[in-house]
Amino acid sequence: MDFHVAGRTHRVLHNVDLQVPKGGFVSLLGPSGCGKSTLLKLLAGLLAPTEGEVSVGGLTPMEAVRQRRIGIIFQEATLLPWKTALQNVEMLMEVTDKRRPRAEIRDRAREMLRLVGLEQAEDKRPSQLSGGMRQRVSIARALALDPEVLMMDEPFGALDAITREEMCDFLLEIWERTGKTIVFVTHTIDEAVFLSRNVVVMGTNPARVIENMPITLDYPRNEDTYAIPAFGQTTAHLRRILKEGHRQGHSNGRSA
Amino acid sequence: MTAQAPQAAQAASAVPPKKRLMKHPRSRFAGIVPAMLLAVGMLLICEVLVRAFELPEFVMPAPSSVFEVLVTHQAQLFVATLVTAEEVAYGFFMSAIVGALVALVIARFDRFGQALYPLVVLFQTVPKIALAPLFILWFGYDLAPKVTLIVVMAFFPVALNMLVGLQSVDPNLVALLRSVGASRGEILRRVQIPHSLPYLMAGLKVAVTLGVIGAIVGEFAGASAGLGYMIQFASTQMQTSLVFAALIQVSVLGLIFYYLVELAERHYIDWIPRPNA
Repeated sequence: MDFHVAGRTHRVLHNVDLQVPKGGFVSLLGPSGCGKSTLLKLLAGLLAPTEGEVSVGGLTPMEAVRQRRIGIIFQEATLLPWKTALQNVEMLMEVTDKRRPRAEIRDRAREMLRLVGLEQAEDKRPSQLSGGMRQRVSIARALALDPEVLMMDEPFGALDAITREEMCDFLLEIWERTGKTIVFVTHTIDEAVFLSRNVVVMGTNPARVIENMPITLDYPRNEDTYAIPAFGQTTAHLRRILKEGHRQGHSNGRSA
Repeated sequence: MTAQAPQAAQAASAVPPKKRLMKHPRSRFAGIVPAMLLAVGMLLICEVLVRAFELPEFVMPAPSSVFEVLVTHQAQLFVATLVTAEEVAYGFFMSAIVGALVALVIARFDRFGQALYPLVVLFQTVPKIALAPLFILWFGYDLAPKVTLIVVMAFFPVALNMLVGLQSVDPNLVALLRSVGASRGEILRRVQIPHSLPYLMAGLKVAVTLGVIGAIVGEFAGASAGLGYMIQFASTQMQTSLVFAALIQVSVLGLIFYYLVELAERHYIDWIPRPNA
């Protein structure tokens, strides 16, 4: 499956041409205001492009979402506080599969909670869960619909550094086990390099893609990965590009 | 002394949160004790002043004589309280329904909501008390004019609070539900309405106190029974002790209604962690 984004609008995104292979893990990396979240929203069908086209497996994103090929995860877990973890995972299934028996939905939700390692917490309310656990529930909720692609908008941005790394390990594990395609928006360089097969570097003024960089580090990646020299070189390179892009953006901003 | 004062203040502010976390039954009532002591003290001062200046009872009765009337006239007061309580109960119930419906309509139907909302706000600027004679004229002297007055006074905080609740749902959550094909009605039912319930409860607490005021004002405008009627009647008879006794009875009635709403809140909204719950 391919994504093809050729969006051209005046203010938001310029000359974005991006393909994400099926089963891939692509990060959109850039400073705030570079349009990475906008790009993700275009891909996820939450926004419609004014010009250009976006396709997900040959469909428009809206169609793809309707056919439940796309699962969306936000920075906040966006769970319903009055429902338990299990009920939260069930919620989207209840909306999309009105005729499906309740018991079946329940079983599927339990299975998803087991997948994210929260089978012990199914009766807990979101307020009783940690930030990382809440985000796991939200991932379970997205996976319950069995999408082909997970669109994640800075999903670990609200977590502390240690939980963040744990969640990265966890996400790679989920990716490996489920074979989903993942598009991951972040402004953390280490996180992007650690997770992705490809990092798409974006810049501001105008919002654009600067570089699409393959990450050659071997999977499975774990805490030792951070110590590999290639990891350091890659992050250093990305840091340089981002800074250059940022400086250019600033001077463009001034002249405009 | 001055060096110790900030430390003492710090210690004082550090202790209560810990206490609140404890589920000890004493902690809930321990807070009332200072207030009770203060109230008793003020009543005593009042008693002493009234006696010292030998104020006539029809001007300012001593707390002791008010208490006496509260006991001796309790049968009469109790009947009046039931009348007023019925007005408040119906009025509050109707206010809750009307307020919630107004909020739901405004949240669900954009166009109609845009037309309705300014009118509701405009209506809010009308002094509702001035409408009481009209309601008497239209609906007579019984329950109906009081209930109507309470509704026009009390539906607004219910509607406003619930509307805020309905509209403050995380837009990402709404986008997520829309993206998987949920209808507006479904989003309203699954997310917006449950999300708005704590806000609704805040509105109901304001409404219930307005309900007591509405009932009393309604009785002032025209009634043949109830605490408001009794206050007015007793004051024309110079039975000032009875006026005060009825006032106390009204306050207790208001407290009971308020507490009932709070009980309902604790029972139905159990997903928000709160102290002493």
